[in-house]
Amino acid sequence: MISFSNVSKFYDYHTVLRSVNFTVEKGEMVFITGPSGAGKSTLLKLIYRAEDADEGEIIVGKFNVTSIKSSDVPNLRRQIGVVFQDFRLLKGLSVYENVAIALRIRGLPEKEIKSRVFDVLKRVNIRHLADSNPKALSGGEQQRVVIARAVVAEPQVILADEPTGNLDPNTAIDIINLLKDINITGSTIIVATHNKELFRGTGKRVLRIDSNTIAGEEIG
Amino acid sequence: MYIGYALKTALKGMYQEKWINLLSAFTVASSLFIVLLIGLILFNIELFAGTIHERYGLVVFLKDNLSELETQSVITEIHKKEGVISARYISKEDALKEIKDKLKDVSYVFEGLDTNPLSASIELRLKKDFITPEKVKTLSKNIKEISGVDEVFSAEKIAETIDYFNRSLSNMSLIVLIALISGVIFVIYSTVKILFYRRKEEIETVKLLGATRAFIRLPFLIEGATIGFIGGLISTAATLVIYFAITYRLSNVFPILQNLVFPNEVIVVFPIVGLILGVLGAFVAVGKLRF
Ligand SMILES: Nc1ncnc2c1ncn2[C@@H]1O[C@H](COP(=O)(O)OP(=O)(O)O)[C@@H](O)[C@H]1O
Ligand SMILES: [Mg+2]
Repeated sequence: MISFSNVSKFYDYHTVLRSVNFTVEKGEMVFITGPSGAGKSTLLKLIYRAEDADEGEIIVGKFNVTSIKSSDVPNLRRQIGVVFQDFRLLKGLSVYENVAIALRIRGLPEKEIKSRVFDVLKRVNIRHLADSNPKALSGGEQQRVVIARAVVAEPQVILADEPTGNLDPNTAIDIINLLKDINITGSTIIVATHNKELFRGTGKRVLRIDSNTIAGEEIG
Repeated sequence: MYIGYALKTALKGMYQEKWINLLSAFTVASSLFIVLLIGLILFNIELFAGTIHERYGLVVFLKDNLSELETQSVITEIHKKEGVISARYISKEDALKEIKDKLKDVSYVFEGLDTNPLSASIELRLKKDFITPEKVKTLSKNIKEISGVDEVFSAEKIAETIDYFNRSLSNMSLIVLIALISGVIFVIYSTVKILFYRRKEEIETVKLLGATRAFIRLPFLIEGATIGFIGGLISTAATLVIYFAITYRLSNVFPILQNLVFPNEVIVVFPIVGLILGVLGAFVAVGKLRF
């Protein structure tokens, strides 16, 4: 589903990733770990073309991300649901609207948008918050809104960047269990986290970034 | 499709910036109003210039003391000329009577007049396709060569003056029109840009979610189109008001103003012109949208 071959990324002569190689199979759930600043977010950004790789080749499904036409980028991004580290919730829009936007950009009819948004809000246990302003919600609730937006269109790939960032341990476990449930329905998921507690005992593959590349692989 | 959503987003954005949008629409309206006035003035001058020969035709003045036979032969000669529809003979006496009729309020000017100072004349009407400056000129020259003809008066001089005036006005207005229309596009561009910057963060996010350029642009194009359309509508309405004021009120004083024409098409075309300029301005304001 996703493959990196010899991918490198530099920011102004400063190397973030060098010669990264790995593959993630369809339907798999994989963790990417490493200390803060290791390049986890950068690696995810390369997948949805928020950043351009400087070397190597990245394949996502039927897209060659490293040689993609600019006009094809929206199509690529619609195959991918992203749980952004900084949430990126839209100001001035309700929880409902924040989730619905993922379907609006796909041009779905209003009726279908409504039923799918309420379904997904139920699934992440925030159905009762549909009309709230996200700003008024707790960190854990906001995180669920972001996850709901990432999964509502049922994309093939879900990328979660520190999805338990500032959450208390119990809420963090809830979120990971939620992502595992979503994975069972068929989505390929990559979770980037610096928190080893999250993948311990999951039985999922864990890729560790160290010294700008994938330094090792283990089972969580 | 997402047109409904784009409309809602556009309306919401315009409501949030309602004063700027309103101000912008009025600025656009005043520019388009001037564009429309200049256009109408040029259009009417052009119309008038086109009918000037039809109105006045040619007037042939005859030499004094021609016999009836000589007069008749001049008329026959003139009739033979290409382009002449009709020739009306006005004798010296008729001419005097006509003038006396017109000036009957001031009839004392004719007191003590014992000779008739006027010339006999022939008024010609010309065929429509014959009314071009060159053809009228040659015709006058040919008629002047007929013996018995003293002078040929054509509206040529008036036409040339109007033509010259019209041409210099057109050149000037072209510059003014270009400036005004660029101004309109710029005003709409600036207004849409404000909304665009306001939504910059949101746009970055929807780009990452997979929104297409069309999805992102549409609300802004709708905003620009709305401002342009409203501006076009207001300017058309204002021009119509001015037009009726002139034709109904001022025409008492200057009867020629009664002939002013306001083409009906303008009412439909001009708001659409505003709309197109608005879309143009908005398109430039949103820019390339890189992914
Ligand atoms: N836009 C950028 N410009 C320059 N340097 C950047 C940029 N984004 C990230 N970096 C740098 O790249 C490195 C990796 O960052 P990041 O991928 O965010 O790490 P992680 O997510 O593992 O904490 C860091 O040193 C960071 O400072
Ligand atoms: Mg990060």
